Amino acid sequence: MTEAAVSEAPTSTPEGGDSAPARSLASDAWRTMRSNPLFWVSSVLIVIFTLMAIFPSLFTSTNPTEAILRDARVRPNADAWFGRDIQGYDIYARCIYGARASILVGLLTTVFTTLVGGIVGVFAGYVGGWTDTILSRLGDVFFAIPLLLGAVIVLVTLPATDNYFYIVLKVVLALVVLGWPSMARLMRSSVIQVKPNDYVQAARALGASPWRVVRSHIVPNALAPMIVVATINLGAYISAEATLSYLGIGLQPPTVSWGVDISAAVVGMRTTPHMLFFPSLFLSLTVLAFIMLGDVVRDALDPKNR
Amino acid sequence: MRGTARTVAVAAMSAVALLAAGCGSGDSGGDQSSAAGGKTGGEITVRGCNPQNPLVPSNTTETCGGNVIDAIFSKLVHYNAETAKPENDLAESIDTTDNQNFTIKLKQGRKFHDGTEIKAKNFVDAWNYAAYAPNGQSSGYFMEPIEGYGDLQCTGTGDDPCAGDGKAKADKLTGLKVVDDYTFTIKTTEKVSNLPVRLGYSAFSPLPDAFFSDPKAFGDKPIGSGPYKLDAWNKEQSIVLSKFADYTGDFGGKVDKITFKIYTESDAAYNDVIASNLDITDEIPTSALIDDKYKQDLPDRNAQKETGVIQTVTFAPTKVDPNYADPKIRQAISMAIDRDTIIKQIFNNTRVPATGWVSPVVDGYKADQCGEYCTYDPTKAKALLQEAGGFKGDKITLSYNADAAHKDWTEATCNSIKQALGVDCVATGVVDFATFRTQIAERKMKGMFRTGWQMDYPSIENFLAPIFKTGASSNDGDYSNPEFDKLLTQAAASTDEAEANSLYQQAEALLAQDMPAIPMWYGKTTMGWSDKVTGVKITAFGTIDFSSVALK
Repeated sequence: MTEAAVSEAPTSTPEGGDSAPARSLASDAWRTMRSNPLFWVSSVLIVIFTLMAIFPSLFTSTNPTEAILRDARVRPNADAWFGRDIQGYDIYARCIYGARASILVGLLTTVFTTLVGGIVGVFAGYVGGWTDTILSRLGDVFFAIPLLLGAVIVLVTLPATDNYFYIVLKVVLALVVLGWPSMARLMRSSVIQVKPNDYVQAARALGASPWRVVRSHIVPNALAPMIVVATINLGAYISAEATLSYLGIGLQPPTVSWGVDISAAVVGMRTTPHMLFFPSLFLSLTVLAFIMLGDVVRDALDPKNR
Repeated sequence: MRGTARTVAVAAMSAVALLAAGCGSGDSGGDQSSAAGGKTGGEITVRGCNPQNPLVPSNTTETCGGNVIDAIFSKLVHYNAETAKPENDLAESIDTTDNQNFTIKLKQGRKFHDGTEIKAKNFVDAWNYAAYAPNGQSSGYFMEPIEGYGDLQCTGTGDDPCAGDGKAKADKLTGLKVVDDYTFTIKTTEKVSNLPVRLGYSAFSPLPDAFFSDPKAFGDKPIGSGPYKLDAWNKEQSIVLSKFADYTGDFGGKVDKITFKIYTESDAAYNDVIASNLDITDEIPTSALIDDKYKQDLPDRNAQKETGVIQTVTFAPTKVDPNYADPKIRQAISMAIDRDTIIKQIFNNTRVPATGWVSPVVDGYKADQCGEYCTYDPTKAKALLQEAGGFKGDKITLSYNADAAHKDWTEATCNSIKQALGVDCVATGVVDFATFRTQIAERKMKGMFRTGWQMDYPSIENFLAPIFKTGASSNDGDYSNPEFDKLLTQAAASTDEAEANSLYQQAEALLAQDMPAIPMWYGKTTMGWSDKVTGVKITAFGTIDFSSVALK
């Protein structure tokens, strides 16, 4: 972290080596990542899954809610590549259409936890004193609630509807309410680390407003660990969504989601395992892709661990 | 009171009976069980589940407690395990000349498990206790036909209808009279032709004097009168029964000891049967029903039999949802449901397509009462819908309680309707059974909703009067047809059984014209057992017949 901060410092105070052009943290990280094959593997997977989420019709022309009950539980064949599930839905089509819910939940939850956690963390770390105490204890309160228990409370309390985005947002809300404290803690500790640095003190001595200090000196230098953890968490949130849907409290049919399909397929584990295999495979690949990306980003932003 | 009690009865069905039921070739089954015989004595373990209430016969309407109650209590009549026909058990005779005044003579020398003799007053006291509303017995409504029942009910409103002025006027049914130690009489308010059939239900069990001195202690360790007595009830673990040495009735069992091991998951019980840690499970989990897996797991050690359960889909009352008022629309929806495929794919053949509103296991059943309206025919269905002017609402809804296994079949049913009629249909889950029933009872549920009926006693009347008679307790769709009511009253008054049945059948035929509820399918129970036991038979109620089970 401190090293990263130091390497960032020259850009703001131009006194770096005269031979090498000034390199930002971002371009440095980009160079490292580019040469890592894992980065390309995970990126390609993420691009594919994102395309799937936005334009599912690119991948299949089958309607995921068109049931052919007569062929229910049929094994993979030329007509239905991944076979059909208990209701006779095409599993391939459902895997494609299920990406949207999972990725939406993963991305939105990551964005919101990062925003809420980041803001709270910066406040707590920079202002310190009793603000820090109150915000940190507040975070601890939410931190103490187990994820599943808390999510059950949030999801069951909110009224149910059929609206797709409302259902997704409900799940996002549940995960954000319970996920922000870990982000806030992380941000707070890196802000506290950056705060005593000389360039911060100098900026304050020159009369910069707290807002300016935070914006141009603290946040850019404290952001790296957040980005890393957020990327890794994205995968974790996707699997949390699947868990909640599996338990019947997350996304609900007719919403198509991998968690919902996995949940419905469990009864056939001994007899028709293909119903369980394909949605699980898609879920695992997505989670894996985001976690791999998170790893690569961590390596790039935190060269000490290399 | 009555409505609630019914609700519980249906709950028991939805939670247990419907989840149970197995698979098979589709024939009536029952004879696949291993040959009777085997030695007497020894002990067996069977799957049990947690009784909801203390074990008092008049307060048990669910199968977890009911299975135990059935084994430890004798009733006036006993239902034949194969045919469900009533046979005298504690009763020597039940006589009537007018279907309204019944004289019951008891067999002498039959004893309770505490050694006291079963006398007429044990029945009268028990029934008065059940009917008296402040006692809050969930099966109290079974006493309704008996004269004076109304005076034992609380009239108040609010949370406690028995408080203040609402207090019940009497605590004894005027229709019950003890003549001597072994004789009593029943007078009913109206004519009831099938009263003797009803008397085999557990709510009509006699209770010993010990019950009335401490009902609470009795609930934990009931003193019954059946072939088995309760030794111990280890809460959440097991219920242990042993043979009652002084049992002199005709329906005794072969094994000495029966232990109900309490399971919360049917999968766990099933795996224990495969591993021979459990002898009999009366429920095969869905995971083993798919592709008849259980037949490979338990070759020649499984059986399947039709039971007195029917699943229906009821339309909300016209006042609540006018979109379904036209019987043609209702018939069209019924014809749009592909029952055979749903049963094959979703239920793995553990149901039988319904052809009427009465279960085939009861006396008086007539096949094909629903006729073409219960046969899948998408072309005719669509034509009928157009004839009725199409569906006016924006979509058809089919509501179900999401706390039991109803999601799959409601979704499949909706898909079938959607594909046949071209009208959108959505299966809507309601969080739990209590909320679901409350919405129906308060007439707030729109569209269609699932209803199920498990018979209380094996009679055609039990499938018609409580569900479709004007103002009946389980008439969720507010169906009212004066002609139907008239036929039911005539049938109840008829002293000739065949005539009564024929009148009930005429009444049932009226339902096909009005279609207040769509018959879906009849239930079946599937059981599996370990290689230690033999002679496992399923009764018409879907329970284990303990009189024939034996160790090999």
